[in-house]
Amino acid sequence: MTDKINDTLKAFAAGRMNRRDMLTRMGQLGIGAAATTMLLNRMQTSALAATSYDWMAQKGKSIKLLMNKHPYTDALLKNIDSFKTLTGIDVTYDVFPEDVYFDKVTAALSSKSTTYDLFMSGAYQTWQYGPAGWLVDLKKFINDPAETSPDYDWDGILPNLRASTAWSGVPGEALGSPTAKQWALPWAWELNSIAYNKRILEQAHMEPPKDLPHLIEMAAKISKDIPGVYGIGARGSRSWATIHAGFLSAYSNYGAKDFDTSSGKLVPAMNSKESKAFTKLWIEMLQKGGPKNWTTYTWYEVANDLGGGTSAMVYDADSAAFFQERGTKEAGNIVYHAFTPNPEASRPTPNVWIWSLAMSNFSRQQQAAWKLMQWATSTQQLTLGATKADLIDPTRQVVWDNQDFKTRMQGYPGFLDQFAASSPGAKIYFTPQPLFFNVTTNWAAALQKMYSNQVSVEDGLDQLAADIKSQLSNAGITD
Amino acid sequence: MSSQLLRALRIVLMVMVGLFFLFPLLWVVLMSFMTNVDILRSPPSPFFVPTLRNYLALISGHLSTSSGNVQIDYMHNLLNSVILSVCSVVVSLILGVPAAYAFARYKFRGGEDMAFTLLSFRFAPPLLVLLPLLGYFQTLHLYDTYFGLVWVYQLITLPLVLWIVRGYFEDVSEDIELAYRLDGHGWLATFFKISIPLARPGIAAAGLLSFIFAWNNFIFALILGSSDVQPVTVGALAFITASGIEYGQIAAALVLSVIPTLVLAIFTQRYLVEGLSLGAIKG
Repeated sequence: MTDKINDTLKAFAAGRMNRRDMLTRMGQLGIGAAATTMLLNRMQTSALAATSYDWMAQKGKSIKLLMNKHPYTDALLKNIDSFKTLTGIDVTYDVFPEDVYFDKVTAALSSKSTTYDLFMSGAYQTWQYGPAGWLVDLKKFINDPAETSPDYDWDGILPNLRASTAWSGVPGEALGSPTAKQWALPWAWELNSIAYNKRILEQAHMEPPKDLPHLIEMAAKISKDIPGVYGIGARGSRSWATIHAGFLSAYSNYGAKDFDTSSGKLVPAMNSKESKAFTKLWIEMLQKGGPKNWTTYTWYEVANDLGGGTSAMVYDADSAAFFQERGTKEAGNIVYHAFTPNPEASRPTPNVWIWSLAMSNFSRQQQAAWKLMQWATSTQQLTLGATKADLIDPTRQVVWDNQDFKTRMQGYPGFLDQFAASSPGAKIYFTPQPLFFNVTTNWAAALQKMYSNQVSVEDGLDQLAADIKSQLSNAGITD
Repeated sequence: MSSQLLRALRIVLMVMVGLFFLFPLLWVVLMSFMTNVDILRSPPSPFFVPTLRNYLALISGHLSTSSGNVQIDYMHNLLNSVILSVCSVVVSLILGVPAAYAFARYKFRGGEDMAFTLLSFRFAPPLLVLLPLLGYFQTLHLYDTYFGLVWVYQLITLPLVLWIVRGYFEDVSEDIELAYRLDGHGWLATFFKISIPLARPGIAAAGLLSFIFAWNNFIFALILGSSDVQPVTVGALAFITASGIEYGQIAAALVLSVIPTLVLAIFTQRYLVEGLSLGAIKG
């Protein structure tokens, strides 16, 4: 009986059997779904342990994680016992709400705290933490065969995400350059695209938007014609996050850049011809078809309006739309849509948020922490998270190709197609520089002024570029 | 007729003002009995089927969200808030009341400087103090301990107690104390039998205000403790996650977090009004 169970699980793990057949077979052997999951986890842990890599090398050590309260964290912690079994390393963790999470991280790192060995980070935050000497350059582990399992498959992580979490620390130098330091491991991510409410679009007799001019036209008409509904939701609060999501994704698609680095210097390019042309369209879109109090909108409001049926479309993270699929008024009506805003562009260019794992330079258990980082970003763990929990944007292509994951995500119309179309152009489009948060917050404030007609787009962007130039100079980044 | 009209108008105005100030509180209480779908309904409606789901989730520690069941520690956060606030106020009263008496009654070298230094703790931006403190806390093994946090909370509560109570001691006539001492009582007996009872309204007001300030503090435990010692101010944010915002639970958490302060305020109301109004007219 045990052999039959093992054979069934091995056949499933090797891809020779699909999930439904595996569960049916296990059921015939008298094993329920919960017990099957447990056995599968145990088998995958044993499979990792069976490699030549010494997972037990740090046995008896203890590490502490600092995590953000997030479904991705739940996916990791759900299976943390298998890591403990695999390595003999004890793991404790602190989970803090997202609103205060980065305050906690910044305080811990800036005070050189040894409490936390590794933590969740976004790529943008590593531009501050890395050059300050607070993070470990993970290349020293990745490139060391003694430290990294031969099965880890670093190259299997989506290349744009690997590059987006690596930076040399030189302001303006491209992400992922040969001299870049790998400040974090991509673990899960979110790409910014369009999600729409098919019920509302059907009611308005409309097809999904083809490009930005079409989107503006649709959003304006919906806001005008359907009572209680507006056309397009996007972030608008005075925060870096307003620039990061839909705005920068469309901005890049129009060929505009935040900085011009062609001269070898960091020159603000928010007032370039392309930027001005695009920003006019963006402001027009929001004025004609956006929410009434757009300047207060964070992702919370954008997502809630989609789930509540107040907005017809959103231009935001795919995960923000995904989590509106359950327990909301519009659950089941949400469709994901790959979007190329510029009529002359060939493909989408979504800016991305990457939830990554980074290691504190003040950790006293760096080797043990590295084992957890490997394990958490391994194909096995990402597959488990993607199929058994809500790690819906895994960072490995092999997980996207996993049949179980595909079957699961087919229940969310357009999700997989959107990924396939958007993924090649999905990356961080910001130019890395240490004043990222100041620059983007000022940028959002400038958009708010343009939106409320306090300043024209032309003048607003000229003022913004001059202000940022001055900030860079004052910070000693440019002359 | 005109006086009746004026009276009616006054009542209407008072009701309107009352509603204006109480409406947010009332709406939060209503929200705590709603589901997320009811709360997010557009336009909002005061008519809904009430549910105790939000309170049950908080009390049981099992929260059922759109992304599955999650464990929540809100009651633990509530207990942390009670421990931190009560202990901080008690320590501040034990240290601050005698100190306030000393500053009020005796002129000694450097006395004003010391009092002002204690007050200046209130001026410093918390983060400026907390980052270096974090290093010391780790060295002294005070990080993530109630003892360490109660100590740091003295930055909030001690100056309040000291400066408010000092004003009340200054209001108490020294002659009464001297008369008591002429009867053969010692300094300590005078302090406990005469000065403290006379300054009781001020002490109650200072205690309550300190409690409210300690209860509302957010940043100290966040920086100087793990998730095990976080108060309600941090705990309530846990309902805002990437998978959605549990507005009903936030409202229920808010209602629960208001109860201790409300109970304390009701019990000390008599002293509080007396104490605050005395302080207001002090010359």
